[in-house]
Amino acid sequence: MFELSHYAFLAALGATGLAFCMAVVGALSGRRQLAFAGVGADVETSGMPATWGRYGSILAVNAFLFLTASLVLRGIAAGHAPFSNMYEFSLAFAWCALALGIFFERRYHFKTLALLVLPIALGLQVYATTVSDTIEPLVPALRNNLLLTVHVAMAILAYGAFTVAFAAGVLYMLQRKNGVKWLPKNSVLDEVGYKAVMVGFPMLALAILLGAVWAEIAWGTYWSWDPKETASLATWLIYGGYLHARVVRGWRGERSAWLLIGGFGAILFTYYGNLFLGGMHTYAG
Amino acid sequence: MERRAPATSGSRAASGATLLAGKAVNPITILQTINPFTRLVRLLSSIRLAMALILGIALVVLVGTVVDQVPTVMRADPAAYARWLELERGKYGSWTELLQRLDLFNVFHSTLFRGLIALLAVSIMVCTMRRWRSVWALTFHTRIRMTETFLRHARFHDAMDASMPVAEAAEQVRRSLSRARYRVRTEADGESVAVFAEKNRFSRFGTFFTHLGLILVLVGAIAGGVWGFKDPQFVVAEGSTKDVGQGTNLAVRLDRFTADYYPDGRPKAYLSDMTVLKDGKVVKQGTVGVNSPLHYGGIAFHESYYGPAAVLKVQDSTGQVIFEGGVALNMKTQDGLRPEGSFELPEQNLSVYVIGPMTDQADSLVPPGEVRLDFYQNYVRVARPGNIVQGRPTPVGDMTFTFVREGAYTGMQVVKDPGVNLIWVAGGLMIVGMVMLFSLPPRRLWALCRAKADGSTEVLLGMQGQRDISLAGEFGKLRGRVAKALGREAGERVDEEGDEDV
Repeated sequence: MFELSHYAFLAALGATGLAFCMAVVGALSGRRQLAFAGVGADVETSGMPATWGRYGSILAVNAFLFLTASLVLRGIAAGHAPFSNMYEFSLAFAWCALALGIFFERRYHFKTLALLVLPIALGLQVYATTVSDTIEPLVPALRNNLLLTVHVAMAILAYGAFTVAFAAGVLYMLQRKNGVKWLPKNSVLDEVGYKAVMVGFPMLALAILLGAVWAEIAWGTYWSWDPKETASLATWLIYGGYLHARVVRGWRGERSAWLLIGGFGAILFTYYGNLFLGGMHTYAG
Repeated sequence: MERRAPATSGSRAASGATLLAGKAVNPITILQTINPFTRLVRLLSSIRLAMALILGIALVVLVGTVVDQVPTVMRADPAAYARWLELERGKYGSWTELLQRLDLFNVFHSTLFRGLIALLAVSIMVCTMRRWRSVWALTFHTRIRMTETFLRHARFHDAMDASMPVAEAAEQVRRSLSRARYRVRTEADGESVAVFAEKNRFSRFGTFFTHLGLILVLVGAIAGGVWGFKDPQFVVAEGSTKDVGQGTNLAVRLDRFTADYYPDGRPKAYLSDMTVLKDGKVVKQGTVGVNSPLHYGGIAFHESYYGPAAVLKVQDSTGQVIFEGGVALNMKTQDGLRPEGSFELPEQNLSVYVIGPMTDQADSLVPPGEVRLDFYQNYVRVARPGNIVQGRPTPVGDMTFTFVREGAYTGMQVVKDPGVNLIWVAGGLMIVGMVMLFSLPPRRLWALCRAKADGSTEVLLGMQGQRDISLAGEFGKLRGRVAKALGREAGERVDEEGDEDV
């Protein structure tokens, strides 16, 4: 099981890398094609040329399936949800980023989203290769299968959604500054970011709430200003700010795109923070 | 939140001045403009202030996660705090003073942080109260009939002809919207029928649930702080009883402690079989483990840590037992090498320190199977320290000490938090509110069916709301349904947003 899980992970890593290459090639050649076609070409419908883009999408779906297999097999091997150390968590984060990336790509016919989601998923998987992948026994505090599964699942869902929002924010800035023709319209980018935050925001709230419930059960304190706790609270507040700011007309577009980018910085801080800050979330790896 | 950021204070002051100069007609406007309360309300409900507060809190949090924070146990004890500060000096050097002055070692309990949180809470409350009336009106007092101008200029609008009389057309519109799970109301006058359809109208109240939840979290936290207590280092040794204190008349006896290990020697679970006594009477018995606390009368016992203990028996010259029980070796000797604990013999006015063997290496001073005793009277050593061997009664002065057996102690966190249930309710409210807001967006569509000269009917459709793609999609869907019901499927393409690859 453990070995199979590892092979599935390597396959996912390869597929993600290739999918990213395809997406880049697709975007570049798409741009060249646009240049040849000149002004007046139907910009709306061209975007990436079908072949490269489609190969990229298929590979991304494959990467997602391989990662699913890897996580499931590892879960079976470990006897609990594969959420207990940085290796497992990185894989789960990458899995979720891919899943939501693919979902939003299909929902909004937005292939270029892959240009940013894929490298993030790739980066997470490459990072996973650098940390220990052995299955360690759970420390007493983590021995709560239900909460381990749900609390972490909510957190990675939120992270995945905010990754998509970040991708939309970055593409928005590109679009805004240069009027890039192979990118979707500003309104679409703005909306994808918003929708992703609408998914991620309640998830993060739920992750924090369930974390508090768990802390109350295991440690007797629902809140202890642990670095990860605090950082996720700050992250949640930032996205809360984004949602409110967006209601105000002036904060749409560029400023809210900046908030999405800043929010993702907070996510990374939350995600890696415990590595150099310590605290009660420092478990294996 | 207020829809538009308020004007800067400068320009507001200027407009106030012009108003006072007599150019304004309405005296109420003057009052509103210069009334400091109104001004305060505006400031508190401005999105800029809220954003600034959120950024401020995020910044403090950043500081709090980067700079070491004083542990809870040492916070209350000035001496412990000072010792902790000395250790930190090694890391922060001459910055220590400044950090300490700014309360950055305890930033989450600092006045600055609490002030920011309180301001944000007030801002949230003011905003929410200001929104109440408009949300109420949007939900319960909607006009069914809209003017033609509105319907021709709504964000999403369309007009279509139906070759049927007005009443029939209106009925078709009503039925098709109703089938799309909309709540439909109609209002007819002589020549036209107005139709109003809405969905998820109560979702708007989600915002109140969420914000009320946020406020209640703070209320719960304050309630816990005021009426609760927390003892993070409640240590009981096997076979001994300890008072909980804190104004309760409870005591805890640790009957048995067991630790379970993985094959590689790491702890898997540790369990304390304990008895809760109230005024000396047993009121509750149970096993406490990590992830499974024991509750009694609003007080929770959480397993936290454990360590070695020594079970001792002391008899006086007549052979009467004056002490019997476990002594938790939960401290360290001054050299930091050996576990140490102490107990009192009040009648003899003696403090007895019990020193156990080193665990990580062979110990020549305190070999395994022995403990070392050290006697103090009013902080003065009164006898030469000496070892006693397990199971062998040893005379010390006119008393006899017996090291009965090795044992363990358990360290528990004892908590009384009357605010915790409120926290869960508040958290639930927040989640429910968010789900309402985000997954069930309110939708409103108006239609007007008017008779034309030739006996056919013109149907105007209008939908208002935030400009977003899902709303566009919803309008396309509804328009398609209405068109179909009016017999207009031919030539009418339902506008499905996001159809093209981008």
